[in-house]
Amino acid sequence: MGKNFDSKEIILNVENLNTTFVSDQKKIRIVKNVSFQLKRGKALAVVGESGCGKSVTMNSIMRFLGRNAIIKADSIQYNALRDGKVTEYHIEKIDKPHGPEMRALRGPEMSMVFQDPMSSLNPVYKVGDQVAEGLLQHNKGMTKAQAREKVLEMFRKLGIPDPEERIDCYPHQFSGGMKQRVVIAIAMICNPELIICDEPTTALDVTIQAQIMELLKDMQVKDGKSIILITHNMGLVAEMADEVCVMYMGRVVEFGSLEDVFDHTSHPYTQALLRSVPVLGLADGQKLETIPGATPNPADLKGGCEFADRCPFAEDKCRAKDIPMFELSPGHRVRCLKYSSFPLAEGEPAAAEVK
Amino acid sequence: MLKFILKKLAMMIPMLVVISLVVFLGLRSTGIDPLTFMVPPEVQSQSPEIVEQLREDLGLNDPLLVQYFRWLGNLLKGDLGLTNKGEDIAGIIADRLPYTLELSLYAMLFSSIIGIGIGIISAIRQNGIVDYIGRVLAVLGQAVPQFLVGILMIWIFSIKMGIFPAANRVSPDATNAFVDAFMHLFLPVTTLTIGMVAVLMRYARNTMLDVLNSDYIKTARSKGIPEWKVYLKHGFRNAMKPVLVILMFRIPALIGGSVVIESVFSYPGIGTSMTNAITNMDYNLVLVITLIIAAVMLVASFMVDVLNALLDPRVRLGE
Amino acid sequence: MSNTNSMSIKEQNKSAASSLMKKNIRKFLRNKLAVFGLVVIVVITVACIVAAATGIDYGTPNPTIMKTPPNGEHMFGTDTIGRDMLARVLFGGCYSIFIGVFCAVMSSVLGAVLGAVSGYFGGKVDMCIVRVSELFQAFPQLVLVMMLVAILGTRSMGNMLFVFVITGWMTTFRMVRNEFMSLKGETYVKVCEAFGMSKSNVMFKQILPNVMTPIIVSTTTNVAYFILQEASLSFIGLGVADSTPTWGNILNAAKSIQVVQNQWWIWVFPGAAISLFVLAINFFGDGLRDVLDAKQQ
Repeated sequence: MGKNFDSKEIILNVENLNTTFVSDQKKIRIVKNVSFQLKRGKALAVVGESGCGKSVTMNSIMRFLGRNAIIKADSIQYNALRDGKVTEYHIEKIDKPHGPEMRALRGPEMSMVFQDPMSSLNPVYKVGDQVAEGLLQHNKGMTKAQAREKVLEMFRKLGIPDPEERIDCYPHQFSGGMKQRVVIAIAMICNPELIICDEPTTALDVTIQAQIMELLKDMQVKDGKSIILITHNMGLVAEMADEVCVMYMGRVVEFGSLEDVFDHTSHPYTQALLRSVPVLGLADGQKLETIPGATPNPADLKGGCEFADRCPFAEDKCRAKDIPMFELSPGHRVRCLKYSSFPLAEGEPAAAEVK
Repeated sequence: MLKFILKKLAMMIPMLVVISLVVFLGLRSTGIDPLTFMVPPEVQSQSPEIVEQLREDLGLNDPLLVQYFRWLGNLLKGDLGLTNKGEDIAGIIADRLPYTLELSLYAMLFSSIIGIGIGIISAIRQNGIVDYIGRVLAVLGQAVPQFLVGILMIWIFSIKMGIFPAANRVSPDATNAFVDAFMHLFLPVTTLTIGMVAVLMRYARNTMLDVLNSDYIKTARSKGIPEWKVYLKHGFRNAMKPVLVILMFRIPALIGGSVVIESVFSYPGIGTSMTNAITNMDYNLVLVITLIIAAVMLVASFMVDVLNALLDPRVRLGE
Repeated sequence: MSNTNSMSIKEQNKSAASSLMKKNIRKFLRNKLAVFGLVVIVVITVACIVAAATGIDYGTPNPTIMKTPPNGEHMFGTDTIGRDMLARVLFGGCYSIFIGVFCAVMSSVLGAVLGAVSGYFGGKVDMCIVRVSELFQAFPQLVLVMMLVAILGTRSMGNMLFVFVITGWMTTFRMVRNEFMSLKGETYVKVCEAFGMSKSNVMFKQILPNVMTPIIVSTTTNVAYFILQEASLSFIGLGVADSTPTWGNILNAAKSIQVVQNQWWIWVFPGAAISLFVLAINFFGDGLRDVLDAKQQ
C-alpha cells in the first residue's frame, strides 16, 4: 500500500482494521474494515450508539484487548514528531500486545482516558503514586522527589485544589470529577502526543462534564495534542471536534470534517443521530425523533448494509452486498448507495468509490 | 489502628464466654453421669455412699450455673480439670496441641502458596496448561473425600513404596528430630493440603480474573509498565484481600479436616483426643478442646480483620 | 407480530415459558459434563434403589468366604466377615444418598424460612437469628457435628439427620436474608403490601420465588456436601450406628492398616462410589447453575 499522506500532518493512520472476537468457538466480527486518519493537533470525534465498536476500535489500536480478540489491519501507523523529526511506528506489526515495543508507546506517545473514573484508579494506592508510576517507568534515573514535583505541577495544571495535600490521598477520598482529573493526569504525565478519550464524561454530572471537556480542549489548543474523543453525545461533538467519524455496527459509515458531517450529512444513520439530539427550546408539540428498531445482534448479521432494516430509504440492492465507501468531496466519505439522492451542497462533484 | 485492634480483641472475650457456657450447659444436660466412668462398677454397686460423697466433693450436686462459674474460675487459674480416667487435661493439651498446630499450620502454609499460586497463574494464562491441570485437580479434590485421599497416600507411599510411616508423629528410635518430623508429617500435611488447595485455587483464580478485568488494570497498562508489574502490583495486591477472607473461611474446614486426617494417620493431635473423648463420653475434655478450637477460630478471624485493614486504605482510614 | 397480539396474555406467557424451558434444556444438554453428571446420578440411584427393593442380603456374615477378592459370584469381593461388598455398596448408597438429599433439602428449607423471616421483619428478630447463625459459623462444621453427637448421646439415624440439618442451614440463610433485605424495598412488594396481602403471602409467594434459583443450585451441591460429611463422620466412628451400611461406615473398615494393605476391594469400591457420585453431583450442579443463573444469560 503506497503512502498517500504526509507523516508530519497525519499522526495516526488506520487502514482496514478488523477486530474479531472468539467466543464459544464462534467468531464475531465487531470492527470491520475501519479506516480513518487523525491530523496532528486536531480532535477527532468517533460517534455511534453503544456497541457500535467505537471503543473496541480504540482498544484495538492501543492493543488492550484480551486473548480472545483477533486484530488484523493493513496499517495502524503512528507518526511521532519530535524536534521536527518524524518517527514512524507500525503498530499492526508489533506481535506482543504488552511487549516492550508497545509499552514504549504507551505513556510517552499515546495514552488513554477511560470512561469511568470510579473504577479506573487502583483503590489501594495513593493517587500521587499512581500518577508518578508511568513517569518513573519511562524516565530512568528520575528520583521519586523529582517525580513528585512533576505530579504536583500536573495537578496544579489540571486544577486539582491543594495538590500538596491531595497527592497523598487515596482514590476513595476523591469526588468523581476529581478522580477523572487524576486519570487525565495519569494519561498526560509523560507528555504524549495522542490522547484517546473513551467517553470521558459519561459517568460524571453535567457541570463537571463541561469542566473536563474544557480541560481536554485546552490540551488540544494550547499544547497541540491530538485527541480522539469517543462519545455518543452529538452536542459534545459539535463543540469539540474538528473531524467526525460516525460508526454503526462496526463500520465507519461516514467520515469527514465537522462541517461536512453536520451540514452536508450524507448517511441516513448520521441524519437520524442528529435528529435525535434534544435541543433547548424544542418547539411545543415537536417530537424528538428516535431511530426505529434496535441495533441488530452482531452474531446474526447477514450481508449488505447493516442499517438497512432501520433505514427509511432502504432498497433491495442495499441488502444485496456489502456497501463500499464513496468519497463525496476530499476528506468526506460515506458508506451508502444513496448518497447522491441526499441534499448536498451545490457543485458537488460525482463521488468516486474508494477502497 | 491500635484502637481498632483493641476493640476487636475485647469483642473476643464475651464471645468465648458465651460459647463455653452454651457448650457447658449442652454437655451437662445430656444426663450422662461422669461418675459412671470414673468409679469402677463394683465400687458403685457396693458402696453408693462413696459415690455420693465423691459427687458432693466434685460439686456435681450444685446448680449448673454455679458449676459453670467454678469451672470458669479454675480455667482462669490454669486448672483445666481432669479426664474421667483422672488424667490432667492441661497435660494432654500441652502434649497434643503443638502436634495439631504443626499439622494445620504447615497445611495452611502450603495450601495457600500452592492454591493461590496456581489460581493466579491460571487467571493470567487462562485456558493454559496450568489452568487446565488446576481445574481437573480442583474438581477431583472436591469430589474425593479427604480421608480417602489419606488412605490412598498410605497405600501408595507407606505400603507399596515404603517411604513414609503410615502412623504416629514420633518414632521411638529417631536419631534426627528434624528428619523424623519430616517423615511423619509429609503424608498428613500433603493430604490436608490437597483438600484445601482445591477451593483456594478456584477462588484465587476467579478473584484474580475479576481483578484483571477491572478498569484500573487497563489504566496500569496504559502507563506502559511491564506486565509482571501489572499482575503483581496492581492485580495481585487487589486480589489479596478477598483471597485472605476466603482463607479465613477455610480455617473451620482446615480444623475439621485435621480431625479426620489425624484419625486416618493415627496422629496424636487434639483431633484424635476429641474423637476419643466423644466416644468415651469424656465431657471435660470435649469442653476444653471445643473451647480451644473456638479460640483458634476467633484469633483467625481477628487476624484477617487486621490484615484486611492493612491492605485496604478504605478500612484502614476508618471510613 | 399480529398473531401474538390475538393470543391471550396467559397463552403468551405459557408459550414464552415453554420456549424458555426448551432453550434451557437445550443449553443444559450442550453441557456434556452436566449431562454426564445427571446420567451417573440416575444410574447409581436407580441401581441402589433396585438393590434395596429386591432385598439382597447385605448384613449376614458368612465366615466361610471372608475377605474374598472380586470374582464372578462376588463382583466387589467380600468384607472382613464375609458379607458381599456389592450388596453393601448398593445398600449403603441408599442410606448415603437419602442422608444427602434429606439433609440438603431440609437445611435449605430451614435456612430459607429463617432467612425470609430475618430479612423481611428485620429488627430484633433479625438480630437474634443472625447472632445464632454467627455462633454456629464460628465453629468448624465437623466439630459442631461432633459436639452435637456428644450431647445427643446415641448415634441413631434420626439424630444424625437432625444434627446435619441443624448445622447446615447457615449459608442458605445468609443468601436468602440478603436477598429479602434488598427486595423488600422494591415497589412491587410495597404494592402487594398496600393491597393488604398477608405477610406470609408476600414473603413466600412474592419474594421467595426470586431466590429460588440460587437455593436450588446450592441445595444440589449441598447433597454432595452432606454425603461427604456423613462419610467423614462415619469414618472416624461417630456417624450413624455401625450396623447401618452407609458408604462412610463401609469405609470405616479401612481404618485398619491390614485392610488397606491386603484387601483393596473393601475400600476402593465404596470410595469410588462416593467420589463418582459426588463428582456427578458437582458437575450437575455446575450445569444447573449455568442454565438457571439469569445473570449469565
